[in-house]
Amino acid sequence: MKISFTLNNKKVSIDTEPTKRLLDVLREDFKMMEVKESCGEGECGACTVLLDDKPVTSCLLNIIHVEGKKVFTSEGLSKKFLGKLLIDCFDETNAVQCGFCFPGFLVTSYHYLKTDGEANLEKIKVALSGNICRCTGYQKIFESVMLACLRNDSTGGKS
Amino acid sequence: MKFYKPDNLNELLGYINNLENKFYLLAGGTDINVQIKNGFINDEEIIYINHLDELRNIEDSERELKLGTLVTFAEILNSDLISNNFPFLQESLKNFASPLLQNMATIGGNIANGSPTADVLPLLLVLEAKLELVSSNSSRVVEIKDYFTGYKKTLLKSDEIIKNIILSKDKYHLFTKKLYKKVGARNALTIAKAAIACLIKTNNQVIEDFVIAAGSLNEFARRLYRVENYLIGKKFSELDYTEIETLLRKEITPISDIRSDKEYRFQVFYNLLENFLTV
Ligand SMILES: Cc1cc2nc3c(=O)[nH]c(=O)nc-3n(C[C@H](O)[C@H](O)[C@H](O)COP(=O)(O)OP(=O)(O)OC[C@H]3O[C@@H](n4cnc5c(N)ncnc54)[C@H](O)[C@@H]3O)c2cc1C
Ligand code: FES
Ligand code: FES
Repeated sequence: MKISFTLNNKKVSIDTEPTKRLLDVLREDFKMMEVKESCGEGECGACTVLLDDKPVTSCLLNIIHVEGKKVFTSEGLSKKFLGKLLIDCFDETNAVQCGFCFPGFLVTSYHYLKTDGEANLEKIKVALSGNICRCTGYQKIFESVMLACLRNDSTGGKS
Repeated sequence: MKFYKPDNLNELLGYINNLENKFYLLAGGTDINVQIKNGFINDEEIIYINHLDELRNIEDSERELKLGTLVTFAEILNSDLISNNFPFLQESLKNFASPLLQNMATIGGNIANGSPTADVLPLLLVLEAKLELVSSNSSRVVEIKDYFTGYKKTLLKSDEIIKNIILSKDKYHLFTKKLYKKVGARNALTIAKAAIACLIKTNNQVIEDFVIAAGSLNEFARRLYRVENYLIGKKFSELDYTEIETLLRKEITPISDIRSDKEYRFQVFYNLLENFLTV
């Protein structure tokens, strides 16, 4: 079945099995290796992408579901103002060790920054609760997002 | 895997009316994709329904709120209609799966998947929700308390789908105190080990009305009528907690082979209930 959608701002289409997972289409067909697979069952968030501006786990999404919609991967978001800001903050806080979880955290934090953005630890914890990191410990990750919220505030919430 | 995408609801219903093979409806896909991955779905046909806008409305009327089967948990948590009419439902579902899953998982999928641990079931049971089931040539409304008939067994016929979940506004505001709690290993991404939902109406220390439902403790989530019947009409001062515990034991038969786990689930549930009645 032919499926057309927007991927990181570019119109794309692909002829494939409609039930193929979005995760597999992104990795195998579009070679977007930044989208990671760990649990494959919705529990870790490594495969998170934005679908029509909402963060979702691409391991539980079939490509049919993406027809006509907008998909952003962490790579696509890293070129945007808030994406860059987040990457800087994660860097400065040393929140990334092996880096496997990072693309997922970037997508989820980007969404938080864009839709809420308050430097509020409790809210950030809830927003990131679908993403798991096996290395860093979450404190540094939360700190990075807090920092990004504060900096974004001081730029007047520009995105 | 055979696959089908209907253009609209009528076409879907006509199609499954003539279908011999077992099929799955692909709504949010959060249950189905795990089942595919683990090899539980193989030759069955997959029918995509998530694009059918006729199934995703929230309809408000004077006496009820109708939720289309495709309404997602994120939509429930953000809906003004739900916060105005059933704040308890919204508050209770905050810990559903994770924010990522909330964007995909649908309320109808949660019911239809049939797991005794589904978060929404104890809530719908105490709210006395109804389900609108439709096929190509019929439409009927059943009470959620009658919907499950056994472990993963329901009243749904092979040519029917769940169309709407109907919440009545008539009684909700009469209840003076409400409780929902799911107990699991951690906050996010927890499958309930035990879940309790109850609503009580008291007047001068007398229990005028009481509804309670349990999730994860039986083959399917259900109301606990023995406990309700015992409590209704009594004063708090005349409650016999040994009696309540005995009645509760009759009502729940934890679905675990491990005895300690069974007893743990029972105790957790009993403690939550006792706490609700005494505090
Ligand atoms: C990581 C993870 C965490 C989870 N956490 C929770 C949790 O905290 N609480 C909880 O309750 N659940 C949880 N779940 C389970 C799941 O997310 C929910 O049951 C969800 O609501 C299913 O909805 P869906 O739209 O994704 O269903 P789908 O996977 O699309 O479908 C599920 C089933 O329902 C049937 N179906 C769907 N719609 C209809 C309809 N209209 N009529 C008839 N049949 C229909 C399908 O045929 C299928 O058998 C979790 C799942 C995962 C993977
Ligand atoms: S790989 Fe998708 S959530 Fe873990
Ligand atoms: S840095 Fe290794 S999993 Fe998060």
